Amino acid sequence: MAPPKGGFAPSLEKFLDTLKSRPVEASVELLISLLKRHQIRGSEPCAIATAHILLQVVAKDKWNDVDQLLGRVQLIGRKLVAAQPRELVIANIVRRVLGLIRDEAEEDRNDNNDGQSDVASEIPPPVTSVAGGTDSPSKPMRPPVLGNLGNFARTQSMFNLLSDPDTAPVVWSNGSTPRLGSGASTPLAHPQSTNLYSFRSEVIDGIEEIMDEIKQVDEQIQAYSEITIHPGDYILVHQPSRTVQKFLTRAASKRRFTVFLTVDPSASLASEDPYASFRKSMASGGATVVTVLNAGLNAYMSRVNKVILGARAITGKGGVIVDAGAATIARAAQEQGRTVIVLGGVYTLSPESQFQEALIEWGDPSKYVNFADGSMVSQVKVKSAVSEFMPGDHVDTYITNLGAHTRDHLHTLIMDHYKEEDIAFDFYGKMQR
Amino acid sequence: MSQNKGARGGGAGAKGKKSGRSGGEEKREDVLQAVVIADSFQTRFQPFSLEKPRCLLPLANTPIIEYTLEFLAMNGVQEVFIYCGAHHEQIERYIHDSRWSPIARSCPFSALEFIRVADARSIGDFLRDLDKRNIIEGDFVLVHGDLVANIPLDGALAAHRARREENRDSCMTMVLREAGEGEHNTKAQAITPVFVVDPKTKRCLHYEEMHPFQTERYVDLDPTVLENAEAEARTDLVDAQIDICTPDVLALWSESFDYELPRANFLYGVLKDWELNGKMIHTEIVDQGYSARAANLQMYDAISKDMLRGWTYPFTPDCNLLKGQTYQLRDENVYQEDEVLIAEDSEVADCVFGRDTHVESNTIIRNSFIGRNCKIGSNVQITDSYLWDDVVIEDGAVVKHSIIADMGAVGKGAVVQQGALVSFGVKIDDKVEVEASTRLSLLGHNEQALPTEPEIVGAQGKGAVFRNPEDDEADDDDPSRLQKSLIYSLEEFDICSSSVSTLADDDYVSDDDSDAASLTPSQPTPRSRLSSFGSDDSRNPSFSSFHSDAVHGLLEVLRGVSGNFDAEKLEFTSLRLANNASDAAMRRAVATAFVRRGAELMNGEDALEPVKAAKQALTGREGAAEFVADVGVGGDTVAEQVEFALAVHKACVSSAKVLDVNKAGNLLAAMLQQMYDLDIVEEEGIVGWWEDDRGKEGGEAMVGVRAKCQALVEWLENAEEESDEENDDDD
Repeated sequence: MAPPKGGFAPSLEKFLDTLKSRPVEASVELLISLLKRHQIRGSEPCAIATAHILLQVVAKDKWNDVDQLLGRVQLIGRKLVAAQPRELVIANIVRRVLGLIRDEAEEDRNDNNDGQSDVASEIPPPVTSVAGGTDSPSKPMRPPVLGNLGNFARTQSMFNLLSDPDTAPVVWSNGSTPRLGSGASTPLAHPQSTNLYSFRSEVIDGIEEIMDEIKQVDEQIQAYSEITIHPGDYILVHQPSRTVQKFLTRAASKRRFTVFLTVDPSASLASEDPYASFRKSMASGGATVVTVLNAGLNAYMSRVNKVILGARAITGKGGVIVDAGAATIARAAQEQGRTVIVLGGVYTLSPESQFQEALIEWGDPSKYVNFADGSMVSQVKVKSAVSEFMPGDHVDTYITNLGAHTRDHLHTLIMDHYKEEDIAFDFYGKMQR
Repeated sequence: MSQNKGARGGGAGAKGKKSGRSGGEEKREDVLQAVVIADSFQTRFQPFSLEKPRCLLPLANTPIIEYTLEFLAMNGVQEVFIYCGAHHEQIERYIHDSRWSPIARSCPFSALEFIRVADARSIGDFLRDLDKRNIIEGDFVLVHGDLVANIPLDGALAAHRARREENRDSCMTMVLREAGEGEHNTKAQAITPVFVVDPKTKRCLHYEEMHPFQTERYVDLDPTVLENAEAEARTDLVDAQIDICTPDVLALWSESFDYELPRANFLYGVLKDWELNGKMIHTEIVDQGYSARAANLQMYDAISKDMLRGWTYPFTPDCNLLKGQTYQLRDENVYQEDEVLIAEDSEVADCVFGRDTHVESNTIIRNSFIGRNCKIGSNVQITDSYLWDDVVIEDGAVVKHSIIADMGAVGKGAVVQQGALVSFGVKIDDKVEVEASTRLSLLGHNEQALPTEPEIVGAQGKGAVFRNPEDDEADDDDPSRLQKSLIYSLEEFDICSSSVSTLADDDYVSDDDSDAASLTPSQPTPRSRLSSFGSDDSRNPSFSSFHSDAVHGLLEVLRGVSGNFDAEKLEFTSLRLANNASDAAMRRAVATAFVRRGAELMNGEDALEPVKAAKQALTGREGAAEFVADVGVGGDTVAEQVEFALAVHKACVSSAKVLDVNKAGNLLAAMLQQMYDLDIVEEEGIVGWWEDDRGKEGGEAMVGVRAKCQALVEWLENAEEESDEENDDDD
């Protein structure tokens, strides 16, 4: 008799629940319309939904060789990006999965060249072309490791490794460059049908790791909070995202500092304070939270030591897509020489370098004008941005789940995570017709 | 559906949440059903709706029904039933070719079915049919096929369920959007819905529709309404007719076989008879989100503009609802698809451009929606307009606040003035000026091709002025007349617009002293008023169908096509009883029929003189004069004769659209003269009519037509003494 929990309206959770029972094509179409209707929105939900759908593609679709699979993923990637071009993370995840497939295929090819069975291989195969490192023996999704250590080891391996704040970036850039452009230019061999099964499961494991990575971002970024925030600091945050909130909460458990919270004027009118739990956890840690209206911002800026902003997406050249209002704050901070720190998972880091006007999202004006005000609605054009673009030179430090980076370092991160040919892959040019 | 079932078979049952109906026909309340009414039985979108149903007309270059279905999908509806009437084959084909097709894997619904009802004549017939079919298993959402909304329904659904569990008689929840007291484009013009709501329980206590033609500008409340602790009368609501219903609602429809409209009949009736049926209807008034129905061209205009300003977010053009759309937002609030060429020195702002549209140099386009593959020349000005697909606008043309449908063409230097509706395929020649509010079409109201009128569209043009005789027949007081144009205007009607814009205030301020004093002595007597309501034709919605049927039948007889007046009298009486039509309605129908016959004769091949035409109309068929006397006038008193003369007068005025005012006046004079000669109307009747104030007000046309009778009345008055003798002679 009871209606479904949480009402009838579709959401990310419901989408994921029904994913297994639906044909892939239907799920793709459903995701497209959810993205179009903004019923799945924000970086993390979009990234997770994309990863799940690609997992379904790999697991359920019929494909006979790697090229077919790559083609499928590219096609679906294009469709998803066309549905919501403003969420750069969708394209990021698609590129990551494409790179993953290429890597696995490359590995299989090498395995075959070596004349070894894919399961028995204990020694890492040689890498044909080197773009910045060698294959790591600790590469987690390789079958030998799997075979030896089982599932427990797999889920534990890379991310526990990475979650160590001091060593993670080093390990990543020097030791494990699993998805480096190895063998990119050579044509991909078709894995033999006997290998197809294991190939498939390897790719699936890889995608699952990407999902784990996305889920662990907050936790991993938190680890850097103590290094970033010092006792007695004055921190300014703007409409803190969950990532930023957790970051500050962790810091508050160890340090005493003051947070200036700038809140969207419409949110402060709402009956329920969206940051109530945040305030509570901050207060319990002994940190002070001061709510600042946007207008009074500049007066506080001289007291502020650091501005911490959450990123919706970070572009290759360091520009950041942020919630509307944050760019002004960053600008003000820069004028007064305050540190601006941007938090965001590596998955938000997009190789897209040129910024397009179209990436700014315009919402509905009801935030500022009441629809009931007939003359305003008919006479005045009110534009209300949901997100905005912050140029890279306003940012001092980027903190991702892999550590703190400068703008120049972002390029290396991108090269580590995406393959040349996938970076070049054009998601935007001609949208699907 | 079977497809979906099969596909789902594998993983079903994991959570029991899927809509798979593996359990057969058992009642499952966790499946949300929706019913879409895709025919409105209205003519407000004519001439466009002659060729395409309203729900497929493009709004911001996307068929309106897309928004409706998106709204349902957004709210997690799983089973959809679409009721189609006119153009059902087009709607079915469109849906089957679209991503909503139940065969397509992209369809978010587990079932989508079309239902056709062969002899349906109103929305009421659809819902009575739905009741018989027994396909509704629980709560369902009832919407119209022209809905644009982004309101999440979860809250309203939960509230509805809670109320229903508490009291089984809570059968319906209406989702309404606040839109302020002031003027608002997105509020329905002309007809103002008045909801009397108990603010605590949210129960709707009373509903009524008000319009500018009303003489009494207040709402009559049943005394029981006041038994509630609180009641708010609200006119500030946008009613997009999103209803959450239980199956009981359908039973109520079935009980009342004559209800046609969901609001004016059903809601009004159910609330009025609350003591009888005990059913309660609640409201869910929201102050967030957007909801509106493109129920007429003015609303179409308003919703389009709202969309351009982002109120319908996320359903803005760059949401690209349709597969293959590639809209992107550019500078100056211009939404543009790929392959659009706009010359550098052209000025475009607040526009939408479909694919392959070309705009030449030095052209100004503002606040407009341009479809796909349109060719717009240089030095063109387009403001506030809607160009659908494949429209050609040549150099130097000017288009102001108009709609130009697919394949329309406007020649060099031509001007299309405000409010013009240019239907499919109409071509306007070079240097022609299309006057304001002209409706041009290739098809007439009966869907036959109209002969081109070169004086309107130019020598090389194609198309003619579209007229619908039903419009002329329609009651002068019918507010739907106001909703047929693109631009809402009361100018041509005899109401000062200021009193309309402040309709709400009006009730309590300006009219109070005059009307209220005379019409409501001291204590209103609601009961008697309510009972009289049913027979007052100006507000009785079934009137229009009675009117057109009656006039049609009479005309057939008058033309000698069929029947005779004895039979017609019987038929007429039964029609009247069936529709519960009032005396006034009868009079109007008879008067309209005879005047139209007269006008026909004057316009016909013989082009009779007014006098002959009137004589022919009244005496041409045996029994006609008696019929007028018995049925039309209906009694011997002078008052009734005055009423009938007034009805003839009004009928002549509306015939002035076919004739010119002079001729209409002559016809009126001749008709009165003839009726006087035939003893249908006595001298006192005509003089009484002449002196009646109602004939003097009513705008230029009323007065102009009336003026022609000056001579007749003077003659009557002068010949007063002789008249007795004359009458004797005649007898």
